Amino acid sequence: MKVLTEFYDIVTNPYSYARKWKTESGGKILATFCSYAPEEIIYASGALPFRIFGTSENITLADSHLQSYCCSLVRGSLEEALAGRLNFLDGTVFPHTCDSIQRLSDIWRINAGFPLHFDVILPVKLNTPNAGEYFQDVLKKFLKDIETALHIEIDNDKLIEAVKLYNNIREKTGAIYRLKSDYPEIISGRDLHTVIKAGMLMDRKDYLLKLDDLLELLDDKKENSQKSSKKRIMLAGGICNHPDIYTLLEDSGAAVIWDDLCTGTRFTEGIIEEKADPLAAITKRYLDRAVCPAKHSGLFVRGERLVKLAKEHNAAGVIFLFLKFCDPHCFDYPYLKSYLDKEGIRNMLLEIEEQPQSEGQLKTRFETFIDML
Amino acid sequence: MITAGIDIGSITTKAAVLKNNQIMGIKISFTGYNAEKAGGKIFQELLSEIKLDEKDVEKIVSTGYGRNSVKFAHKSITEITCHAAGAYFLDPSVRSIIDVGGQDSKALLLGNEGKVKDFAMNDKCAAGTGRFLEVMARALHLNLDEMGEISLKADSPSKISSICTVFAESEVISLISKGESRENIIAGIHDSVASRITALAKRVNVAEPIMMTGGVAKNSGVVKAIEDKLGIPMKISEFAQVNGAIGAALLAVKV
Repeated sequence: MKVLTEFYDIVTNPYSYARKWKTESGGKILATFCSYAPEEIIYASGALPFRIFGTSENITLADSHLQSYCCSLVRGSLEEALAGRLNFLDGTVFPHTCDSIQRLSDIWRINAGFPLHFDVILPVKLNTPNAGEYFQDVLKKFLKDIETALHIEIDNDKLIEAVKLYNNIREKTGAIYRLKSDYPEIISGRDLHTVIKAGMLMDRKDYLLKLDDLLELLDDKKENSQKSSKKRIMLAGGICNHPDIYTLLEDSGAAVIWDDLCTGTRFTEGIIEEKADPLAAITKRYLDRAVCPAKHSGLFVRGERLVKLAKEHNAAGVIFLFLKFCDPHCFDYPYLKSYLDKEGIRNMLLEIEEQPQSEGQLKTRFETFIDML
Repeated sequence: MITAGIDIGSITTKAAVLKNNQIMGIKISFTGYNAEKAGGKIFQELLSEIKLDEKDVEKIVSTGYGRNSVKFAHKSITEITCHAAGAYFLDPSVRSIIDVGGQDSKALLLGNEGKVKDFAMNDKCAAGTGRFLEVMARALHLNLDEMGEISLKADSPSKISSICTVFAESEVISLISKGESRENIIAGIHDSVASRITALAKRVNVAEPIMMTGGVAKNSGVVKAIEDKLGIPMKISEFAQVNGAIGAALLAVKV
């Protein structure tokens, strides 16, 4: 599929794509690290929201600033910045999430040398009476900051256009996810991963057009997609930047049919009310959206949601996929595991780094887990 | 039906031949540089020892870290699944397994009929493994086999606090230069290995009775240290090291 090749080209060489985009459009590029970065506002400012994924290189420069107990996303991203590989960036947006990202913000501001820097200090508890108002105020401040920094004005029309575009994208990616759940072999895990990741990097209008093409192709494939005999697996955790994981699982007889990942459905889900005040509506999506463990919306919300998703998608097993040393995810793990155990849903924990893993151990664990299902 | 299991580990290769669920023969040798050769060689040697021909063996399952390099096997199955099958065969009452080999340590919880219900594996480093013990034996100028017995004579086990194998080795060297007794140092090393393994075992909520398998089960010092930390005695079979190969041969029946 040609459209897939285009996604692969961007995902394999994101920095060359960004440089080309910048030269051709003359636009600004703002880096993000997580799905709490308010992309709708970045898009409305005319800048390209561009997600950073750490490094596949060895870390040498970043460790002068960060300790080895920081995750490889934080250390690797700083490495990329210090090595000058991100010199196409105009700035960075840091939403208030985990401790390491908060601390990286200041280290980045002092050492990375990009002209623009935004801290978006979101509330941690999203289910308190004042959280909504506070959240919206923070977004308003971010909007003002970005207007001042870029010498532009973001009016309501621009925001509404951004909301519509993101709704459109999220409807399409949601449809692709559902197709994958209904017909696990209609698109490979690696391909789906690439499609979703491309949506964190490329020009979003262009992305939407390509999603339309892809959906059309997939719809045509529906009829010929046989019922799959592969074991149905759901991934849960933070960042997955390893397409090989999907292939290894498929080679061992399983298919990833859904996820609860920051680079997956937590990023793609949630439609924004189009008729309401745009900032209020954007806020509402972030409040209603599934939380990551760096946020709170109820003591057992994440466990209940995980079980619900696993049942809804008929998952035979859940693989927790955490970046090593990701403390928020690790704090939640024992309780999330107990929720799955109680329901008899088999699960395993895999801690990975942004750098490639030893394939042997990974295979042993995947094959054993799939044998268990 | 005669079946065989070949378990290519990171340090040793094990083979077992079974006939109608009876062990006909077992063999252990070093894996060396070439896992593929090691598998073929041990299989041929075991066959000649038990006076069988290759054609007599109907099905072969390979397992272990080098399982995919055994080209003559009909199927490869992970060592975790094989250890579960082997332990269930040796003692059907076993509910959990602690398997400590050359480069991996694993804790398994068993479900029905020797199937794996849950497992955890060392993933950050090689601290709680046989390789760790090998490094320490070298630092102390000892044979691996001697360590268990010597450590049982310790009066006050040393404290080894580094998790990193290389740093732990330098701790051991400092202890040697301070004149600490060999017995106490080795007991300290075993305590350190046992701490890692116990943490792993707790992650899967191991249930009694527990069997320990893998080469490290031959080290009575490590066994005792784990038992002390868990507060539970463990079952150690005479086939602990070849348990994975036995499990593979058992699973071969269904291939």
